[in-house]
Amino acid sequence: MRLGTVIGRVTLSQTVPSLLGARWLIVSPFTREHFQQGTETPPGMSKDPSLIAYDDLGGAIGQTIGFVEGREAAAPFAEPTPIDAINAALVDEIFYRPASQ
Amino acid sequence: MLLARVEGNVVATRKHPSLEGWRLVICQPISATGSAEGVPQVAIDAHGAGMHQRVVISSDGLAARKAVGNDKSPVRWMIVGIVDEST
Repeated sequence: MRLGTVIGRVTLSQTVPSLLGARWLIVSPFTREHFQQGTETPPGMSKDPSLIAYDDLGGAIGQTIGFVEGREAAAPFAEPTPIDAINAALVDEIFYRPASQ
Repeated sequence: MLLARVEGNVVATRKHPSLEGWRLVICQPISATGSAEGVPQVAIDAHGAGMHQRVVISSDGLAARKAVGNDKSPVRWMIVGIVDEST
C-alpha cells in the first residue's frame, strides 16, 4: 500500500460490465518528501505520476488514502476485473519520523 | 523482498475489513548501507516492529492474504521479519 492525496474524481459512462457504477479517484501518490507533512495536503502535485484508483470506501477530494497497486488490487472481486489500483484505507493520521542519518 | 526501515505508522478507521486490527507501518526501502531507496510502502505488521528497526518486507499478495485470513483482501506488503544483522 502507498499513500496519496485524492486530487479528483472520474465518472465513466461506458465501462466493462463488472465495473458499472464504480467510483474512481484520481490520486497523487506521496513521495518520501511528502511524508513529513502528515495528512496536510502537500503543496503542489507529486513528482510521481497520478493514477486512477477504484474506490468503495468513499474517499473525497483532499483526503489522504492508502491505495494498493498491482494484481492484489483486483483481489476483492469475485470475477477477474481489470483493476490495478484500489483505495484500501482512508487515512486519519500519519505518524512519521525519518531516521536521522 | 526488500530491506526496509520502519519510519512510522498510519491510522485509518475506514479501511478494507480485512485490515481491521492490523498495524500499518510505513516502511522505507533502504540500501545495504541504510540510505533510502524508492518510495515508502505501508505494510502490515504481525511482529511488532519498532520505530527505526530494520525489517524485510515482501510484496507477495497471496501470502499476505493468507496472513490476514481473507482471500478477498487487497493487502500486498507485509513485514516478514525483523533484521538482527546484515553484512
